[in-house]
Amino acid sequence: MFEREIRRRAKELLEAKAVDLVIGYTSGSLPFQARPILVSSPEDTEQLVWNHFCSPNLARYLLPYRESSKKIALLAKGCDTRAVVILLREEQFPRERIHIIGLPCSGIISKRKLEEKLGEIKEEDFSWEENSFLCQGKKWEIDSFLEDTCARCRYPNPPLWDDLIGEKREPRESSVDYLEKISSQAEEERWQFFTQELSRCIRCYACRNACPLCYCKECFAESDVPRWISGVPTLSDNLFFHLGRSMHLAGRCVECGACERACPEEIKIGLLPLKVEEIIKNNFSFEAGLSLEEEAPLLTYKENDPGEFIK
Amino acid sequence: MKNDWEPKIVAFLCHWCSYAGADLAGISRIQYPPNIRVIRVPCSGAVNPLYILKALREGADGVLVSGCHPGDCHYLSGNYFARRKFFVLHELLQWLGIEKDRVQFSWVSASEGQKFSQVVEETVEKVKKLGPAQKLVKEFTFYV
Repeated sequence: MFEREIRRRAKELLEAKAVDLVIGYTSGSLPFQARPILVSSPEDTEQLVWNHFCSPNLARYLLPYRESSKKIALLAKGCDTRAVVILLREEQFPRERIHIIGLPCSGIISKRKLEEKLGEIKEEDFSWEENSFLCQGKKWEIDSFLEDTCARCRYPNPPLWDDLIGEKREPRESSVDYLEKISSQAEEERWQFFTQELSRCIRCYACRNACPLCYCKECFAESDVPRWISGVPTLSDNLFFHLGRSMHLAGRCVECGACERACPEEIKIGLLPLKVEEIIKNNFSFEAGLSLEEEAPLLTYKENDPGEFIK
Repeated sequence: MKNDWEPKIVAFLCHWCSYAGADLAGISRIQYPPNIRVIRVPCSGAVNPLYILKALREGADGVLVSGCHPGDCHYLSGNYFARRKFFVLHELLQWLGIEKDRVQFSWVSASEGQKFSQVVEETVEKVKKLGPAQKLVKEFTFYV
């Protein structure tokens, strides 16, 4: 799927010295995995891959280059590009330093869901198409194997790009929204669900570290003065951390699901920031990372904003 | 024991309006329940959502945030930003199942001593109805 074109374009850019570095994906050390790779010489572009398992949000890997003057090309799916847009909007990079190779994305497949439905899986049994795959002599649609955030994705196409490889896609019509499912529960049930889930959190901060937009030099979770929370992963600390993180991502979360995929306890940790985005979308008609001009929703206001909750 | 329970409420009052409003309530000898602990802040816009969560975590049963009326902010627009921020926090807490009524917001100007006492009365009443806070309160651990 467009792998050859991606390699060719990356090689061109590096040979022409238009960029110093290409950030992309390469095969992981285990099957059904892809990991990020930084390519700086034209020969190494052969290692680049593009498939249904390219899950890390590569915008995260731009952040160490904030202080350098390197020009960087980045393979970016819809959500990665939205994260880049926010980084540009927040003046973390000048636009000239980032070359976006946009990739319309059909969704990331969850290895866990494959194993649940198909039992033991081997890489050689699969042959992949864009929206389906062949396995055990049967054709499967990828829809029911997608990661939860990909199943509800509304922006498979990059909103901004310098090169676009592949064809633009329509968002999935039969989208399953796991946020809606949780929202339809009774309040008390939801509280039970979250306390159960969050009491499993070990606060390894993998979610924060995988997030392309959690780039504070000192995170409130680890600050000593003031000391917001203790290092002990008790339920109240965990709730505080995840509520605080969601508030920090308010109007910035690009719904990529990198936090959930990073979670070693498989907690659906993306639900909180996703809910915040929904609140912002419904009340301030704003969606993160779609435009370089629009003001962030919490950095602006309107005189007729909802205010009935204030006495 | 339970009947004696009185809620502890942390009140973040903006220096320019609500704090002066509370002061006016004081010098006008207007009575209001003694359950609030006042923290003076420069502006309601300076109240970080984490302050509210932290107060609940450290054992407050309720939080009141009060600032200038829209359009009257000493810093021109601080309270407008605050309104958006608190709206999001309020909705999020509600969705998560943490009682929304524990966190109250109000606009009280420097001349509204009477309103300030009303706001405090209402807040105390609502929090009393909910009972002691339990959901975000930090657990007792042997660790520091």
